[in-house]
Amino acid sequence: MMELTKSILETFGIENVDSAKDGEEGFTKFCKHNYDLVIADWMMKPMDGISLTRRIRNDQLSPNQFVPVILVTGFSEKRRVIQARDAGVTEFLVKPFNARDLYRRIAQIIERPRQFVRSEDFFGPDRRRKRKTAYTGPMRRENDTEGGQKNMKEFTDTLLTAEEFRDPNAERSST
Amino acid sequence: MQHYNQTPKRKAEFIVPPNHLKEKVGTGGVSDDILEKAQALLENNTVDFQPLADMYLNSLMKGIEVSKDSNASDDNEYLISTMLYPAMQLKANGGMFHYPLVTDIADRLIQFLEVIDEPDLESIEIVLAFHTTMRAVVQGKIKGQGGDHGRELLKALNKACIRYFEKPVA
Repeated sequence: MMELTKSILETFGIENVDSAKDGEEGFTKFCKHNYDLVIADWMMKPMDGISLTRRIRNDQLSPNQFVPVILVTGFSEKRRVIQARDAGVTEFLVKPFNARDLYRRIAQIIERPRQFVRSEDFFGPDRRRKRKTAYTGPMRRENDTEGGQKNMKEFTDTLLTAEEFRDPNAERSST
Repeated sequence: MQHYNQTPKRKAEFIVPPNHLKEKVGTGGVSDDILEKAQALLENNTVDFQPLADMYLNSLMKGIEVSKDSNASDDNEYLISTMLYPAMQLKANGGMFHYPLVTDIADRLIQFLEVIDEPDLESIEIVLAFHTTMRAVVQGKIKGQGGDHGRELLKALNKACIRYFEKPVA
């Protein structure tokens, strides 16, 4: 599986692909070589992909806490995705995957990188990916009032603009 | 939306890290030809799935036996994980090595294991049925989806899961 993934990455033109047998070795190698991208399997022993991600994000030895991490796993249940997201994973890739799936994750990381959030109990890529859409979850961040409402206003403004576009005579119900 | 039970608001600092990867790769993506070439690597791989599948099926059987021999004081989450993790590997690797039917069966098994509260005798019997079916698929070298027979197998396993959840609460 690891060899197959390496071959795919090399076909994409990624020149230096290194591998490790588990999270412990992976972290040691990461500290030494400071890779641009980490692809980790959830299921590794003794250190799994979730623990590896936590170390990359929070360990003082980590040379780059912002490095993108793609977590590859057979799990696809929502609670697993949330667990991975809360550990600081950047992208989640469900196995079995095809070449295009892997490419999309890499392209996403390069073309639409996520800002990072540091709070009392979390450090990692912003878990609210769609920042331009109306966020309806709990407002837990101190600056949510401003940012959240701004995003919400932008979203509703867009909808109203679209409405006006369809019917130029339509009156705005709110401003 | 009101959130009466939400925790107090916390300070959050936002950081935009430098995009080193973008600096390295520049603009433009990978062509369809390259994507097809990469996909061909996956589709034409000749890795024999059987030894890998045997390893995970044996591991699943161990989990079944451990769960069967457990007593009330044992940690249910741990017991379920002894079956869940090999099932996850079977799901993950089946489709990568030309056995998508194993992936489909293991996927259904994972969904079952993710929602049961405890590995009681009835649920262990169902896991055993999944194990027997996947073993038969691998030994019979049923590559691909297995046609009508594959669909029937999945349907039967699904029905067994539904029956389990429909049983009257003791």
